[in-house]
Amino acid sequence: MSLKASTNLEKVLAAGQFALTAEIGPPRGPDAEVVAKKAALLKGLADAYNITDNQTAVVRMSSIAAAKLVLDAGLEPVMQMTCRDRNRIAMQSDLLGASALGLRNVLAISGDHQRAGAGGKLKGHPGAKGVYDVDSMQLLAILKGMRDEGLQASGDELTSRPAFFIGAAWTPLGPPKEFRVTRLAKKIAAGADFIQTQAVYDVKAFAQQLAQAHDQGLTEKAAILPGIIVPRSAGMLTYMHNNVPGVVVPAELTARLKGASDPKAEGIKVTVELIQAVRELPGVKGVHLQAIEAEELLREIIPAAGLTPRPQV
Amino acid sequence: MITAEWKPIPELVGYLRGHQKVLLLGCATCVAECAAGGEREVETLAPLLRMALAKEGSPVEIITGTLERQCEPEFIEPFVPAAEGVDAIMSLACGIGMQLLAERFPQIAFYPGVNTTSLSLREAPGLWTTRCAACGDCVLGETFGLCPVSRCAKSLLNGPCGGTRTSGSCEISEDTPCIWNLIVERAKARGQLDRLSAVRRPKDWSNSPAGGPKRMLREDLRP
Amino acid sequence: MAAPANKFQPRITVLYCRQCLAADAQPFEGRRPGQGFAAQLVLLPCSSKMQVHNLMRILEKGADGLQLVACPDNACQHLVGSMRAGKRLAYAQGLLQQAGLEPERLGLARGQGLSLESITEMAGQRAEAVRPLGPNPLKGVSS
Ligand code: SF4
Ligand code: SF4
Repeated sequence: MSLKASTNLEKVLAAGQFALTAEIGPPRGPDAEVVAKKAALLKGLADAYNITDNQTAVVRMSSIAAAKLVLDAGLEPVMQMTCRDRNRIAMQSDLLGASALGLRNVLAISGDHQRAGAGGKLKGHPGAKGVYDVDSMQLLAILKGMRDEGLQASGDELTSRPAFFIGAAWTPLGPPKEFRVTRLAKKIAAGADFIQTQAVYDVKAFAQQLAQAHDQGLTEKAAILPGIIVPRSAGMLTYMHNNVPGVVVPAELTARLKGASDPKAEGIKVTVELIQAVRELPGVKGVHLQAIEAEELLREIIPAAGLTPRPQV
Repeated sequence: MITAEWKPIPELVGYLRGHQKVLLLGCATCVAECAAGGEREVETLAPLLRMALAKEGSPVEIITGTLERQCEPEFIEPFVPAAEGVDAIMSLACGIGMQLLAERFPQIAFYPGVNTTSLSLREAPGLWTTRCAACGDCVLGETFGLCPVSRCAKSLLNGPCGGTRTSGSCEISEDTPCIWNLIVERAKARGQLDRLSAVRRPKDWSNSPAGGPKRMLREDLRP
Repeated sequence: MAAPANKFQPRITVLYCRQCLAADAQPFEGRRPGQGFAAQLVLLPCSSKMQVHNLMRILEKGADGLQLVACPDNACQHLVGSMRAGKRLAYAQGLLQQAGLEPERLGLARGQGLSLESITEMAGQRAEAVRPLGPNPLKGVSS
């Protein structure tokens, strides 16, 4: 199989290894050291690290810059790009720049609406003009066109082709559920090489959606990495279940954390079990682990799940 | 219809402060339908502004009128005599009507009384919701008659984002339906879900407001 | 409460729904003096006939307060007229607030089978609410 961008993530997947991605959120300031510190904390634990793009519509260091800092620290970034803040001109220009800086994994997402503002925890910029010139599907197609045909969205030629390993997000349990597998198929048809999903807690419900994708041959066309957000308390699970679209938390799980004498330790156990459970599902090629604002937990979880050391490919 | 809503009262008071005599003009068409600029609203706002200005010690005489359609020159003409005696005009019409009025009286100070907000439907009494964004490249034929350009908070063309709530509402608000959820429902009801499976290419926005001011010309109708 | 004659005597306009009147009461429009205030009674066929601009106009003309007298929410002849009147009144109060004016100058009382005396008493309630505010400052300022 010829590789598209020869990134570490792509090679791990091509080698048939169970892949692991984690997340590094850029800081709300110009602090390169903050990024370097997070990178040092997580080095060696994952095959690649997602660098979020102004997540929840809060201004942070640009994902390109933070991804480059992470790359310089010896980790492999997955640069996220949302459709909220740039039109197709800026997107393609930034993608060329990212490629020039050695950033090869790119994940295209719609992005939280500018009204999000950290879910109300910060002011954010609700008065910003959202761009949404193209949607995530179209951005995937643009990435693919740049890489495979050397063409811009308009059809103009690029002087050379940027190598990208293209990622997309999937919310398997969001309504309308009957369309979510089709949406996955569209993303893969548009250009996605790998897929990271919204957090999975209800493994059974996820398995049903995944089985459909598997039956349609989608899991062969793109590598699917279910997302898992490390739960730290019952309150956090309840919050996500009620407020984060597409996240379904079974009541037993919330009860389990509620009843635990050490919810944090229980959360780690739950995470390890979830990793093992999704790993069993046909078509799963890895996991995408997030420990929001508690990255240090990953140092415990990943070895506990038997996922270290990471494969050298 | 074109919908508008009153600007905040303090902003309106600020505009009129220091003027002697003001003509407040409504329009009996769209803005009357959406209860922002019809005769009732003119006759509510005028006393309110008079009172607010008088209370702060800068009384302003406000005379009122409501045109059949502020966006047609012939309806403006009857108000020429009234306008001649005032030192400011405030309009409660949409941005189109307002500009025609301002153009007719370029020598008089002009102020908007409303913010023009959307192309909406009166969905129920007292409730107006967006239906169109004048995108200049209508996709209703591919989306089962439901507009994702104006009714999806992200103008997505390829299906719902990950933000659709369990209730079927959009991520931006429980009160706004996720239009893609509705499009999928309608497609399903028609047994045509497969029509939503093709990847739609990036949209050509050049015929929308993003493409610059529109100039629509029909030679056959020209004088 | 009896106010000394030289003190502020609020002028209260009362818009009352004819359906609120007791069967044996004679509809009446005009001035009715009260204890320390004066009521000006205006008859409405239904409280829902009252529009926000009517309220503004009455205040602008110098009434110190306005009391709307409507049927109970669930006893309106026109089903939802009385409820609507309540909503409109609240909307008008909001406008006054935004304009830096006193929303307390507008009020609502509900009742059924009322005599003219009890309607006048309802005007008195409004008079007491506006007494601390003093006279309508717009009296005589605007037309
Ligand atoms: S697709 Fe464009 S023209 Fe058609 S209804 Fe939507 S915004 Fe209006
Ligand atoms: S939730 Fe639905 S309507 Fe809202 S932005 Fe996403 S796709 Fe659009």
